[in-house]
Amino acid sequence: MTLLTVLGMLVFLCTSVWLAVALDTACRGWISGQGADRADGPLRTAALWLTQQRLTTEAPDRMNALLSIAGYMALALTGLALVPLGPDTALIALPTSVVLWGACEALVVVVVFLHGWSPNAPLAMIGAYRYVAIGLPIMLLSMFVLIAAALPAQSLDLRDIVTSQADVWNLIRQPLGLPLFLLLGLSLTLRGPFDYADSADLAGGTSVEASGPDRLGWQIARLAMLTEFSAMAATVFLGGYLGPVLPGPLWIALKTLLVMTLVIGLSHLAARMPVSRMMSLIWMILLPLSFADLIWAGLVAL
Amino acid sequence: MTKDILFYALSALAIWSGWRVFRVDSMIRATFALMVSFIAVGGIALLMSADYIGVATVFMMAVEMMVMGLFMVMFMMNPAGLNPMQMVHQYRFSIGAGIAAFVGLTVAILTTPLPDNPLPPGGDTLRDLGFELLGNSMLIFETAGVTLLATMVGAVVLSSASGRFGSAGQGSVPPGLTAGGPPAGRTAEDGKGHGGHAGHGMSMQKKPAMQAHDDHGKGH
Amino acid sequence: MGMTWITRLAAGARVPVFIAMGDGAPAAALTLSRHPGLSVVDTPRAASILLVAGQMPDALIPYLHRLHDQLPHPRATLLWQSPPIPSLPDAIAVDADDDIGRAVADVFAAVLEGKRASAPDILPDAPPSEWRGVGPHGQGGKGMMGGTPYGRPMAMTDDDIRDRLALDSYTAAFGPFLPFFPPGLVLTLTLQGDVIQKVVVTHPPFDHDGSPLATLLNLLGLPALATRSLGDRADDPVLRRLIQLSGARFAIPSGLGRLPDGSDVRTRFDRMTGAAPDAASQDAGDTTLEHLLVGLEWHAAMLVLCSLDPATLRDICKNSDTGDQDETQGESESEMHAGHMS
Repeated sequence: MTLLTVLGMLVFLCTSVWLAVALDTACRGWISGQGADRADGPLRTAALWLTQQRLTTEAPDRMNALLSIAGYMALALTGLALVPLGPDTALIALPTSVVLWGACEALVVVVVFLHGWSPNAPLAMIGAYRYVAIGLPIMLLSMFVLIAAALPAQSLDLRDIVTSQADVWNLIRQPLGLPLFLLLGLSLTLRGPFDYADSADLAGGTSVEASGPDRLGWQIARLAMLTEFSAMAATVFLGGYLGPVLPGPLWIALKTLLVMTLVIGLSHLAARMPVSRMMSLIWMILLPLSFADLIWAGLVAL
Repeated sequence: MTKDILFYALSALAIWSGWRVFRVDSMIRATFALMVSFIAVGGIALLMSADYIGVATVFMMAVEMMVMGLFMVMFMMNPAGLNPMQMVHQYRFSIGAGIAAFVGLTVAILTTPLPDNPLPPGGDTLRDLGFELLGNSMLIFETAGVTLLATMVGAVVLSSASGRFGSAGQGSVPPGLTAGGPPAGRTAEDGKGHGGHAGHGMSMQKKPAMQAHDDHGKGH
Repeated sequence: MGMTWITRLAAGARVPVFIAMGDGAPAAALTLSRHPGLSVVDTPRAASILLVAGQMPDALIPYLHRLHDQLPHPRATLLWQSPPIPSLPDAIAVDADDDIGRAVADVFAAVLEGKRASAPDILPDAPPSEWRGVGPHGQGGKGMMGGTPYGRPMAMTDDDIRDRLALDSYTAAFGPFLPFFPPGLVLTLTLQGDVIQKVVVTHPPFDHDGSPLATLLNLLGLPALATRSLGDRADDPVLRRLIQLSGARFAIPSGLGRLPDGSDVRTRFDRMTGAAPDAASQDAGDTTLEHLLVGLEWHAAMLVLCSLDPATLRDICKNSDTGDQDETQGESESEMHAGHMS
C-alpha cells in the first residue's frame, strides 16, 4: 500500500514537473507574443544538458555543489511526503508535520546558499548572499501565516489542518493567508519577483557557473520544489484532498496544479525590485500584514 | 528493531559530522557539518517520540547555522574553501577542555538515575510538552514572547526604514556639521564619489560580501 | 562516433547561443532572442554555440579567449560579420546576407553528430600557479586575510562607504560580455558585498545602439516582456498594458541614477515604454560613473547603467576614471581578473 502511494506520488511529481515546464513555456510564448513552443522542446533541452560537458571553476567546493542540488531535491521530496492524501494517509505522518515543513523551508535557504557558494565565483556568491537576505524574512512571514492556518485546527498536524477545513477553506476563512504564502512559494522556487538567487542581473546568479548535468539537476529540483510548494499551499489553504465526487488524491492533484498555475503566472507577470526596496516592503508592509492575518485567525477561532 | 538501527545510524552521523567540524578546512563546511550533527540529534529526538523538540531542533539549527556561517564569512575575510584554513587553535587548552568535558558528561550520565517509564502509547506528547513548559506561566511566556517579537521587529524597522541618519532612501550618511557641508564623522579612505551618492536610493541592509573568488576562466 | 538516442534527442533542441557583441554588431543580433530555433542564454556555460557578432577589438580578444573556454563541449564558434580572428582558426564565418538561424542550426547539428570536432581550449586548462597554503596551518595570504596569494586576490576589510562598517571588499573586472552590460564596456569594480565602492572604466562601450528597454525589462525579471519589446510593432498596446500590470515602474526606486537634466531611472524607463514623452536627449553634464554607481547595490547599479542611452553612457565614461593613474591595481592582478565575464 505504502509502496503504491510512493509510486503514485512519483508519477504525479514527474507529470507536474512536465506540466510546470509546459506552463512556463506557454506563458513565455504568450507574453512574448511568439506563440507556443514545440511540446518536446524542454525534453530536448534536458537531453542536450545531459550530453554537455560538466565544467567546473577553479578550486570549487565540489562536495557542497553536489550536496546543494541533491539537498534541494530531497527537501522537495520530503515536503511532498508530508502532504496528506486522505484522512489518515500521509507518507510521513507526524503530529508536528507543519513544523517539519517549516524546517524544510529553512533548509532551502541553506542549500541555495551552498549552491551559490560552491562554484567560488563572484556573481554566484552575490546571488547566494542576496537570497539569504531575502529568504530569512520571507520565511518569518510564512511562519506567521502557517501558525494562523494551524489555529482553527488546534493542531500542528497537516491532517488535522485539512480536516478543519471541511466546512470552509482557509482561503476564505483567512483571506490574507494564501496571497502571502504564494510569495514564499516564489522565493522557495527562485521565481520572478522573488528570484534573488538565480536572477538575470547576475547572469543566472547561483547557477551561472553550472553546466550540463548540474544545470539539469538544479532546474529539475526547482520544479520539484514548485510542485511540493503548490501541494502544500493546496493542503493548507484549499482544503487539500477534500472535495465531492472525485477521490481525494485526485482533488489534491487538481488543486496543486491550480496553485502551480498561479505561481507560474505571477512569476512571469510581476517585476522584481532591488533587494533593499524588497527588504523595506517585507518588513514594513508584508510582515505587519501577516500579523494581521494571525490576529484575524485568532479572532475567528475565538 | 528498525528504530534501533536508525538510532545507531543517526548517532554515528551526529558523532562523525561533529568530528568533521574540527577537521575540515573551511568555515562554511565546518558550520554546516555542525548543522548536520544537530539535525541528526533532532532525528534521534524524533525517534524518542519527542516530535516537537526534534523537529524544532532541525528548524532552529538550519536558520542559526545559516546566519552563523554568513557572519563568520562576513567578518573573517579568509573563510577558505579556496584557501585552506586551520579550524582549531590553542591545542593544549582545547584538548584539555575536551577531555574534561567528556569525562564530566560521561560521569554525569553514568551517575544520574535515568527515568525508566515508557511512554503510554497514543499519548499526546505535544500537549504534555506544552503544559510542562508553559503550565501556569502561559500568560508570562506569551507576554514575553510578544514583547521580544515587537522589540525585534522594532529594531529592524528602526535600522531599515529610517536609519540613524535619516531615511534609507536618502542614504544613511550622517548630516554635515555645517548646513550642506560634508558628512560628519570619519570619511572613507578615498573620498572619491562621496558627495555624489546622497539620494541614490541607498539601502539599509548590510550584506556580507564575497571573498576569495578566483578566476574561473581556465579552471575546468 | 555514432549517435546515441540521447544525442539525437538533443539535436532537436533550441540551440543555446551565447552572443559576444563586438564593435558594429549587426542590428539583428539584438533581436536574436525572437528567433524560434535559438535560445539566447545568459552564461557561456549554458551555451553550445558562441556567436561573435561584429568586430572584436584587440583589447577584448583576451576576454574572448576566456569566454570561449567557458563553453562546455561540444561547442563551436561562429563569426558573424566579423573579420577572422587568428586565435580562433576553427570559427565559421557568417556573412551579413546569410540566414544566421540556419547557419547556427547547421553547425550545432554537425558538432552534436560528431561530424565537426568540438572546438579545443585556447588557454591552457591549468591553474595560473599551484594552489597551496602557507605556513603550518595551510592558510594563504598575508596572515588570515587580504593579499594576493598565488595571484588570487583575497578580500580584505575596508570601511563601508555608507555606514563605515568594516567588511570585506573585493575588486574584479566585469564585462565585456555580461549579457546586460552595454556592448564593449568593461568596468573594474570594487565591491563590498554587492555594494559598489569604486568604479574604473577599463574599456569604454562601443558606439552601438543596443536595446535598453529589453535589457531593463530583463533586469526587472520580465524576460518574456523583454522579448516582446523587441518585436516589430512600434506601438504595442498589449506590451504597454503588461508593463503597467507588472509593477515595473513601482519596482524602480524613485530618484535612482539622477542625471543633471533631472531624469532618474524611472523617468527614463517611462520614456522608453512611451508612458512619458520623449525628451530631446539626456544630458550627462560632468557626471561620472562614480557619481552614479558608487554606494548602490548591484541590482540598482545595473538598472542605472542600462537605463542610460548609449550616447550618454559614452559621455559619462569619458568623464570617468579610466584607471590609467591607478597604481593600487597591480598589472598582474587586473589581468588575472579580466575574465569575470559571467
